[in-house]
Amino acid sequence: MGKIIAVHSYKGGTGKTLLSVNLAADLAKHGKKVCLFDLDFRAPSLFALLKMENTTYWLNDYLNGNCTINKVLIDLSSRLQGNGNFFAALANPSTEAIRDMSAKDRKWEMRALGRLLSLRNTLLSDQKFDYLVFDTSPGLQYSSINAIVAADFVIVATTSDRSDVNGTRRMLQELYNLFEKKTGLVINKVLDPTSKSKKEEMYAKVKDIYEVPMLGLVPCFCEILRAEGNVIFVQDKPNHPFTKILDEMVSKIDANEVN
Amino acid sequence: MTREEILSKKPLHVLEKIRENLERLNEKMEVMIELQKHDRKGFQPLPDTPLDVMTLLSMPDHLRKTAMTICRCGRATAEEVAQQTSRARAVESAYLNQLVIMGYLKKERKGRKAYFYADRDNQGGT
Repeated sequence: MGKIIAVHSYKGGTGKTLLSVNLAADLAKHGKKVCLFDLDFRAPSLFALLKMENTTYWLNDYLNGNCTINKVLIDLSSRLQGNGNFFAALANPSTEAIRDMSAKDRKWEMRALGRLLSLRNTLLSDQKFDYLVFDTSPGLQYSSINAIVAADFVIVATTSDRSDVNGTRRMLQELYNLFEKKTGLVINKVLDPTSKSKKEEMYAKVKDIYEVPMLGLVPCFCEILRAEGNVIFVQDKPNHPFTKILDEMVSKIDANEVN
Repeated sequence: MTREEILSKKPLHVLEKIRENLERLNEKMEVMIELQKHDRKGFQPLPDTPLDVMTLLSMPDHLRKTAMTICRCGRATAEEVAQQTSRARAVESAYLNQLVIMGYLKKERKGRKAYFYADRDNQGGT
């Protein structure tokens, strides 16, 4: 049976979407059947990042109960090398849809959780997907907590910024612990992490501060900023150090070496 | 019909009926014991509160574990929940019945088995 991975963070701009897209693409590159979900309904980004046109059904429609999940899935396997399968389920980026999603009530959110949980049967069990990757909104809000509850494993992206460290620690203790979630931490935008001693120091610090295992350490790459969201690194730049880091994360996740 | 006649006619059926009634009584007792053990006042939900993630977060730990299992399974017996949580069936039965009393779960009997589920479809919402 496949797994659901949610990528979450306390603050915005920590690199959730960058990680989600590259993680999903890397898993597919390694021969897996993967679907990437844009669950950031407040600020959808996959539609633009994946350069999509003419989308008929959105994830919004599935969660509203207006269509099946298969109407939403877009097969992008032809864009990737290798024999994996890469699908995407997009959030509707129109202002009207964002407004509609932010006005949902608790009962709707409860049903949305039910629909996310039922993906386990429809996609993982029946259609033999290996991984569903959920890209979420930052912070403690309904759509993100729904995604966390539905997931088997949560990747928390954080930076070394003081406010991020503080909020992430509280979130891990007061939210993740309550749901007993398997969690892996990714520290992004790290300055000068090349030396072994610096790496070890970071790992020890993470264990001490967050009390969860570290999944990876991502340096600050100017090339990522320069790419302006036009490049899926694991696909387009197979020899880039960022791709190597993603490869390591994927093998840890796939070998179930997390937690 | 005398007692002997009933027993000789359908002894198995009668015994099963008695066991079923005893099990129901037992479940009620378990709920009463659990309500006594924990602060009952703290468990009173707002009328018609859905079992959403915020409700799950605000629950006491022991009930959250049970409620989360039902969320994941969709529909399950106390036995099935107990297998997932590694707690005793009687404990899960008490917690599940407590969640029913609180209005978060629904209970449905099929023969001797009682199934618990969150009634997502009949709770309205936009």
